[in-house]
Amino acid sequence: MTMAGIFTVCKKELSDHFGSKRYLILFALILLLSAVSAYQGAEYLRDNPQAGFLAIFSGARFGFSFVQLMVFFGPIVGLALGFDAINKERTSGTLSVLLSQPIFRDSVINGKFLAGAAALATLTVSTIGIMCGVVIPILGFGPTLEEALSIVLLSSLTILYLAFWLSLGVLFSVLTKKVSTSTLASVATWLFCSIMIPILAMLIANQMVPFSIELRPGGEGSEGFKPEQSPEFQALMQKRFVIESSISKLSPTQLYSEVASSILGATRVGGGFSLGFKAPTMFQSVTASWPSVVAIAVGLVVCFAASYMSFIRSEVRPGG
Amino acid sequence: MSQPMIQTQELTKVYGDITAVDHLNLTVNEGEIFGFLGPNGAGKTTTILLLMGLSTPTSGTAMVGGYDVVKDSKEVRKIAGNLPEFAGYYEDLTAKQCLDYIGQLNDLPRTEREKRITDLLADVGLTKWKDMKVEKFSRGMKQRLGIAQALIKNPKIVFLDEPTIGIDPEGTKELRDLIFRLNRDRGLTVFLSSHLLHEVQLTCSGVGIIRQGKLEETATVEDLTKGLTGKEGKSIEFKLSKVTPELLKELKGLEGVTSVTEENDRLYVYMTKDNTKEVSETITKHGAIILLMKPREYTLEEVFMKYYEGFKGR
Repeated sequence: MTMAGIFTVCKKELSDHFGSKRYLILFALILLLSAVSAYQGAEYLRDNPQAGFLAIFSGARFGFSFVQLMVFFGPIVGLALGFDAINKERTSGTLSVLLSQPIFRDSVINGKFLAGAAALATLTVSTIGIMCGVVIPILGFGPTLEEALSIVLLSSLTILYLAFWLSLGVLFSVLTKKVSTSTLASVATWLFCSIMIPILAMLIANQMVPFSIELRPGGEGSEGFKPEQSPEFQALMQKRFVIESSISKLSPTQLYSEVASSILGATRVGGGFSLGFKAPTMFQSVTASWPSVVAIAVGLVVCFAASYMSFIRSEVRPGG
Repeated sequence: MSQPMIQTQELTKVYGDITAVDHLNLTVNEGEIFGFLGPNGAGKTTTILLLMGLSTPTSGTAMVGGYDVVKDSKEVRKIAGNLPEFAGYYEDLTAKQCLDYIGQLNDLPRTEREKRITDLLADVGLTKWKDMKVEKFSRGMKQRLGIAQALIKNPKIVFLDEPTIGIDPEGTKELRDLIFRLNRDRGLTVFLSSHLLHEVQLTCSGVGIIRQGKLEETATVEDLTKGLTGKEGKSIEFKLSKVTPELLKELKGLEGVTSVTEENDRLYVYMTKDNTKEVSETITKHGAIILLMKPREYTLEEVFMKYYEGFKGR
């Protein structure tokens, strides 16, 4: 019985998503940008045959790679499917009709969350599928078994990451009365995570480890001495990088980016210069980035649990 | 033989420092069309929310169809249909899809669902527009869809919260006819909340008056009126061919007559005891012809005003 309620709500919400302009626009946008980045990735691969098939997800030279795309647009995609899930029904008066039916209240929020997650999974899987479909004919070869496994991992990670943003959106929709408020909260969160945290990380790193004048003895006029090569400078940059990346980890976008990069075996580019580590095996990279995966999952669970509790306790009041 | 469909005991709901429903004791029998009457903000909607299990009481208990609204709220929602105040609709869906969704949530098998949808659409007169999106519906059409949604579970009782708000007189009449028909044909108990006295008077068999969360009176519409007139003694409504000041003066001087008032073309004579004979004789003596004479019936509106005046005085 309980399951029937969830299933019914989920089915209805899913068909709402698939029919909504919002979802279709986001889907088209992601698909288009991904296809372009896949094409670029294929070109990159032709020039650098040693890079391996997975480079199509990380190796865009212009515009966005798939991972960068998800870092930047992922929050908006996830939030967009959740930010008005509950409060829209509350303000339009459909919630009291829905809750007047013989279902448990959690069927509503569970069904809505599942539908959102399924819509996001569809988006992710089809995008990645189409990217492979674009690239394989150009390259003339496909992924190896291990690479294929990495692609599956990348898909799962992306779905988890998008589901986190979905759950945050649902939380906003439960906590706020008006759709306009939750929209604003979603946009603010997105900007904060994608733009503010990286800037803050840089500023704080700059404060904690400032560039000291001694490191640039020659100034502009001197020749022959390149401060970039001095060990002190290297150490300083390393320190700044550590600070910056630890602060950045506050943002789920950064966590995702790190895990995705390690799955893809791509070199992490920080502060404009490469700290290239040799591509580890997939097993190593997944183990190393496990805490970040857990952090995203915990975020998801916390947001969902909070919205669940808040929704179950909320009451329908006169006037909505 | 009828057992109570709704029974509340000391039902109370407090929001912050406002007591929306205050120790409400209410009984509605099966098969009754019960009018729940009160001004805006009296606690009508809150009472319905409590009875549907959409809100939990602060104290007290309520049973609907024999089920406790807190412990068995899901069972209550199986047998109780609800058309909430300001009910919303899934605007992107067609009327048929809306009903189908609600039907699915009630776990109706497909064939059963389709049959009921067809029947209900015909009942509320929406068959022609069944495949039109709800966003294109007029207010009255939406309200009829809302009623169909409340009825698709084939309930034993239906709550209608201010169902005629924003509907034109014709729509109101259609709605009333539909309520009567459902009550007669299916024995459906109807709990109708309204601030429109006329509507309740025309539609309902029993009435409860609620004010500031407290139930002030439950009775049949007739009893309520009688009770009031009884307190006031007797009053008679006349329509006369002419009214002269001398006539009025003499009528006022008659034994037992407390007051005589003129309203439009009517003359109302209030008496502490039945003195109808002398009153009519006095009228004819003054050369006026009695065109109409009947014991005065209070409209619910007057009943209502009397009650409110009473509350103010308390």
